[in-house]
Amino acid sequence: MVKPLHRKLFRDIGRHKAQFIAVTITMFLGVTIFGATYDSFQNLQASYGSTATEYHFANLTVSGGDVDTLVAEAAGTDAVESVEVRTVADIPFRVGDVKLLGRIVGVPATGQPEVNQLKVIEGNYLDPETPDGVLVEQHMADHFDLAIGDSFEVLAGTDWMQVTVQGVASSPEYIWPARDRQDILTSPDNFGVIFPSAELAATLTTDPDNEAVFYYVDGEPDEETTALLSGRARDLGATNVYTRAEQPSNAGLSEDLKGFEEMAVFFPIMFLLAASMAAYVMISRMVHSQRPHIGVLVANGFTRGQVLRHYLGYGLVPGLVGSIPGAIAGILLARVITRLYTQMLSVPVTLVQFYPTTLFGAIAFGLVASLLAALAPALVASRVQPAEAMRGETPSGGGRQSIFERLIPPLRRIPVSWRMALRGVGRNPRRTAYTIVGVVLSLMLVLVSWGMIDTIDHLMTRQFVEIQREDATVYFTQPVSRADVVALEDIAGVAKAEPALTLPVSLSSTTDHYETALLVLADGTEMHRFASTNGDWIELPDRGLVVGKAIESLLDVEIGDDLEVKAPGGITLREPIAAFVDEPLGTMAYVSRDRAETLAGTELPATSALVAYTDDADAAQLRNALTDRPEIAAFEDAKALYSVMQDYMVLFYVFVGVMLAFGAAMAFALIFNAMSVNIAERNREVATLLAVGTDRRRISRYITAENLLVVLMGIPLGLVAGYYASQAAMKSYTSDLMAFDLYVRPTTFLWAAVAMVAVALVSQWPGLRAVRRLSIPKIVKERSA
Amino acid sequence: MTIKMTEVWKTFGEGHTAVHALRDVDLVSPQGEFTVILGPSGSGKTTLLNLVGAIDDTTGGSIEVNGVDLEALDVDERVKYRRENVGFIFQFFNLIPTLTAAENVELVADLTMHDGADRAAEVLEQVGLGDRGHHFPAQLSGGEQQRVAIARALVKQPPILLCDEPTGELDFETGRMILSLLRRVSREQGQTVLLVTHNAAIGEIADRVLRLRSGEIVDDRRNESPIDAGALTW
Repeated sequence: MVKPLHRKLFRDIGRHKAQFIAVTITMFLGVTIFGATYDSFQNLQASYGSTATEYHFANLTVSGGDVDTLVAEAAGTDAVESVEVRTVADIPFRVGDVKLLGRIVGVPATGQPEVNQLKVIEGNYLDPETPDGVLVEQHMADHFDLAIGDSFEVLAGTDWMQVTVQGVASSPEYIWPARDRQDILTSPDNFGVIFPSAELAATLTTDPDNEAVFYYVDGEPDEETTALLSGRARDLGATNVYTRAEQPSNAGLSEDLKGFEEMAVFFPIMFLLAASMAAYVMISRMVHSQRPHIGVLVANGFTRGQVLRHYLGYGLVPGLVGSIPGAIAGILLARVITRLYTQMLSVPVTLVQFYPTTLFGAIAFGLVASLLAALAPALVASRVQPAEAMRGETPSGGGRQSIFERLIPPLRRIPVSWRMALRGVGRNPRRTAYTIVGVVLSLMLVLVSWGMIDTIDHLMTRQFVEIQREDATVYFTQPVSRADVVALEDIAGVAKAEPALTLPVSLSSTTDHYETALLVLADGTEMHRFASTNGDWIELPDRGLVVGKAIESLLDVEIGDDLEVKAPGGITLREPIAAFVDEPLGTMAYVSRDRAETLAGTELPATSALVAYTDDADAAQLRNALTDRPEIAAFEDAKALYSVMQDYMVLFYVFVGVMLAFGAAMAFALIFNAMSVNIAERNREVATLLAVGTDRRRISRYITAENLLVVLMGIPLGLVAGYYASQAAMKSYTSDLMAFDLYVRPTTFLWAAVAMVAVALVSQWPGLRAVRRLSIPKIVKERSA
Repeated sequence: MTIKMTEVWKTFGEGHTAVHALRDVDLVSPQGEFTVILGPSGSGKTTLLNLVGAIDDTTGGSIEVNGVDLEALDVDERVKYRRENVGFIFQFFNLIPTLTAAENVELVADLTMHDGADRAAEVLEQVGLGDRGHHFPAQLSGGEQQRVAIARALVKQPPILLCDEPTGELDFETGRMILSLLRRVSREQGQTVLLVTHNAAIGEIADRVLRLRSGEIVDDRRNESPIDAGALTW
């Protein structure tokens, strides 16, 4: 049988169901987001981990140098379970009309490699009987719609050679199809990967067997072995050495995972905080209005503990009702997110598991948040003095001029009704503070997501419009002279063509190494602009290297310090740092062509050219015109990724829309509860105003003014807090791969503020309806309204 | 202003739970008359006041104020009626705690006139609170609060004053002082006053005394020689 006190609890909740529903929904959202993001994080981490183990994802990759010696020495190391030497090269592909610079990764024709094994999704693994057969990495197969038996061409030296699709495969190395760490975002029109047999791969490049991949015992990371092998590899002339964590695809995925992990903390905390505050406001008011009842309970022998537990129940119920379904919904949602995510990326292994810690943790978070919200008012209830409480007089607050009037004396002369609205703000400072915090939290939620999109949009424009001025990069079938490059300008629509050379290099200071790409650009290049770290545009210097700003901390160097540059072919030279540049994507090194030729002691060939179009050029026609030329082996549209990102902006705005909806729900819960309590507390004043002849519309305007004032106080704080929260979020994603310097458009602040005002107006609507339903005769006669 | 109630019924609830707060009440109160309505709790005193103040609806019958049928007024017209014609004084003062005494009065004055602040000061002076206008309700005694409430009711010079237990929360001396004030200003301004109270002694200051019991007027007598409130004892 339900005890009377429990019946009171449930009936009270029933009487305030709208407010309890608002708290419960906010609690539900917070717990759901926690469950969904945290379980997605765990599932994806497990999926990547399992993929790495099942497909023997390399713990260490070494490119260039004396790979055979390194492998021979490593063979004697117990820590290395298996090692594979393979041919990896970026060579032109011709798929239909599209010429792109793709990648070949040689694998044994007779069976899976020992390291970096493949998952064949369609067709079959390579067959020694079909020497021209290749496996196509799934992203490329999808983009070019390549099916088993289809053919396309790869450049073998100076001739195009036809290869046949034997199968479609996914690889732990290309779950995120990144060309390298400096080119982590690629467009499928510009980059694709195929896996030919080792024999075929060796014929497609002048530098076969140029890479070694090491898989440690059980795939477990081993810092000592890594340090040993890396050091030895560099001694043997390696140009690129990276661990599993640094592997471009894996590094990209790690950044993504980090996003889930951060979301699993940031968003739930915001929601649970908002739910707690909404619950606190509601329960505090309940305790305040029920003081006489509490007095009667205590006078009749109820212990203070019983009273405390009773009022904790008002937190416990929405906590349980919100967090249990929230935890279940979150876990189910995580399964959907994980599957969609791994399908989209073609992760070879998808692991969707049940993590009891998420379920119980999510419920515990919800319960703790709701009980903490109820604790303070419950303690107040348990300390009520029965004699005083039963007199039915709740302590009346003393009036005083508002802070606005004290700060701005002319406000003391505004109409008294508006003065009333001003003073209402300070009437219950704690409630006002909580409402302001609610506005701040909501704006943080909105700005963190909106700021991210503005930043991405801005950094894409900065990288692909302001910094990279070229419209395309073309790769030649064989090295050409400067004159051949300049001849491209004769093509209608080509405004400018400059020779370019990109070399994989290892940069070393006295303390550390960094593998990157060295871009050799024409002197006084018009194709690339260099933004110094203080924001000025600078010229490519006659002498010295220009390097990405991340180098400064990575190699602990400053301007003027010498860097050792190790290039393919055993070339090593020293060159001082002339400037650090601030570029959103990658951490590259640049040198002028004249300086590079001086250092090399010979004229450098041009293997590629940067091409800029005239303003009226037709990009599609020019692409055809350029790729049709026999000397051009591959074409890379410099704006392709920018265009793809621009197309994706619609999706990003959907994301912002969802976050706005969440932010609105959160703000609604808090403002609605604060409003409801405000109006409940002012029933008698409102009724009196109505009785003396004030019409309801005018009263609604006073109440609206008061609420908007509170919201307007919260908005600047929320915008500032949102800005810094966005900055912190962006900073956490910043690495040598991408520099996410926060950029928020001024209109974003404006729209976020407008959205918050709109939410506030909607939130108070139920309260204003309550004003319309107010019974004047009943309330003006009550002792304590 | 003349108040005329004809066969007025007011019923709360329906069926077997119905409670008749007023039953077939007929009453005519001419302009300037000071009427005290007496009766025990639940006799319908406050209900009668609320109906005249147009903050509640009758179940049957009609109420006319200067020939205007209150039941025929829509919501906005009722607001206008209250604003221009009725001053309320409540037992629990119902002052707005965030406004000073002067501002509480000014708030209502602003509804009907432009020089609200000046008029508020005048009326506060009239009720003897000229020097307390800048105090907030929490800084005033019960009697002072009720005087502010009276000033608030009087500031718009309403022809009808409805007082619901105005001394119910006050001690004897303060209560007497409030009644004196009410009697004086209503006489000066020629207002029609309906004053509801439990306290039969207060009837002695009235021009007319009504007794209600179970929603019916059981006694209606004229007081030929009302005494000064200062001479009251209870």
